[in-house]
Amino acid sequence: MKNSISHIKNSLRDKKISVEELYDEFLKKAKSSKTNSFNLLLDKENNILSIKESQKRYENGNPLPLDGIPLGIKDLFCTKGIRTTASSKILSNFIPNYESFVTQKLLDHGSIFIGKNNCDEFAMGSSNETSFFGPVKNPWKNKNIPTDDLVPGGSSGGSAAAVAEGTCVASMGTDTGGSIRQPASLCGIVGLKPTFGSCSRWGIVAFASSLDQAGPLTNSVEDAALILNSINKHDFNDTTSSNHLREDYATGINDKLDQKIKIGIPSDYLKDVSGDILSQIENTKKALVKHNIEFVDVEFKTTEYALSTYYILAPAEASSNLARYDGIRYGVREDGKSLDDIYLNSRTKGFGDEVTRRILIGAYVLSAGYYDAYYRQAQKVRRLIKDDFQRIFNDVDFILTPTTPNEAFKIGDKLDPISMYKNDIYTVPTSLAGLPGISIPSGLSSNGLPLGIQFIGNYFEEKKLLQIAALAEKELNFNEQ
Amino acid sequence: MSEIDIKRISYLAKLKLPHEKEEFYSNSLKDIIKWVDNLKKIDTSETEPLHNVTEKTASIRNDEINKSNSVDDVLNNAPDRAQNFFKVPKVVE
Repeated sequence: MKNSISHIKNSLRDKKISVEELYDEFLKKAKSSKTNSFNLLLDKENNILSIKESQKRYENGNPLPLDGIPLGIKDLFCTKGIRTTASSKILSNFIPNYESFVTQKLLDHGSIFIGKNNCDEFAMGSSNETSFFGPVKNPWKNKNIPTDDLVPGGSSGGSAAAVAEGTCVASMGTDTGGSIRQPASLCGIVGLKPTFGSCSRWGIVAFASSLDQAGPLTNSVEDAALILNSINKHDFNDTTSSNHLREDYATGINDKLDQKIKIGIPSDYLKDVSGDILSQIENTKKALVKHNIEFVDVEFKTTEYALSTYYILAPAEASSNLARYDGIRYGVREDGKSLDDIYLNSRTKGFGDEVTRRILIGAYVLSAGYYDAYYRQAQKVRRLIKDDFQRIFNDVDFILTPTTPNEAFKIGDKLDPISMYKNDIYTVPTSLAGLPGISIPSGLSSNGLPLGIQFIGNYFEEKKLLQIAALAEKELNFNEQ
Repeated sequence: MSEIDIKRISYLAKLKLPHEKEEFYSNSLKDIIKWVDNLKKIDTSETEPLHNVTEKTASIRNDEINKSNSVDDVLNNAPDRAQNFFKVPKVVE
């Protein structure tokens, strides 16, 4: 594929293009883009040293794994000396004095950051409409109503739109309840959420710490594997960082699967879905069945409780995590006569509506008299959801689902928060269980908009998960459609 | 479900909702709490709460000092400072 990491690396190696020319090309395109995918773009002067060092490594014949590759970074990752806002007013002037673990690994492997991607405020949203810097526009258009501006999904909406329109080669996002997979699906690209604990959360602006996970948004499954190779490392600075042995996820990604594979399709997920969505699953089945892959129906017992569980736990953790924004130590201060007034004014004026709503939900479910009935009960149901997945994985290797219940919708169309929350119905259960999930583009809707499918794997089985996703990608051939 | 005291909840969250928005948030909260109320019907008397999904994270490191976050680094982001301190209005009479 023309814009794949390996193709670009070959062009750099063969001197068809220089690292500097490559950066110029992407930056020029990003600057002229009208999608609002970036909160900040980095001029060449900001990166000139890294560009020159990268070029030197190519000339010496020893390029690093991601050498010279222009990446977009969700504006939720702290980047040293570069404004990091979480798309919130309250952090709109924040310049971190350290680099997040994940972005440091990407720099160590030679990649060059082109800018910070727009996202929902504090990653709370499914449409990128809650950003303080305005909504992101999906580069795709409904062929029947081409004048409508559509959402890219969220919360990593800027990261997804930027890859889809080609203003960066790949981007980094974070996924708490679907924030990588859902926008990837709505923008027709690949999005991977690794197993919780794979990629360190250190230096990522915290939303819900028991769920947040970093992952790549890319043009291909192979690119996702290449980036995962760089960022999937143990880190002592994150107490939930797993210390399991990591594999090389890219090598052998296209090898024939050596065992008989069984894939479960949850029948309860497919009740009431549209024909467009159903046909994504049917087409995938047809494409894979010739590879000696068996499909079986499976049924979860806990699906109807997943969103409720999520919308108790995530806001509870958020209300606690966002207590740090007080107008005293960093971020925007709104003045007041007393210390308490500064807290109240800074927080009330600094947070947008959706973030305020979630802080209030969190404060409510954690408050005296409600803690056991909501928060503790949700944590118990979370265990039942995890057990439910493990029961299914006793019998199958992967689970196949649609990524989203619908195609990209019009900006401003979904005003009711609950109907917005339902966008994540297929991605939230995986997040609660902490399992890895990947969304790949599978086809177009009757309106000509991209739709995606999600493969879910068992804990830390990203290698196998990427192999099956690569096979499906090849068979479905979305990019040639 | 009992009534939601939006003033108390916003105070707990250190937010001062503008008067005209209290009803908006109060209704929104009510809808969402009603929506998540379906969890109450599940019997979890035998179930332990789940805090960490993978439970593969016990790591031991050497106790070594490394330098990060100098006072100046940290205070550079402060809205107001005085010498090496964060500056706030007087809190003790």
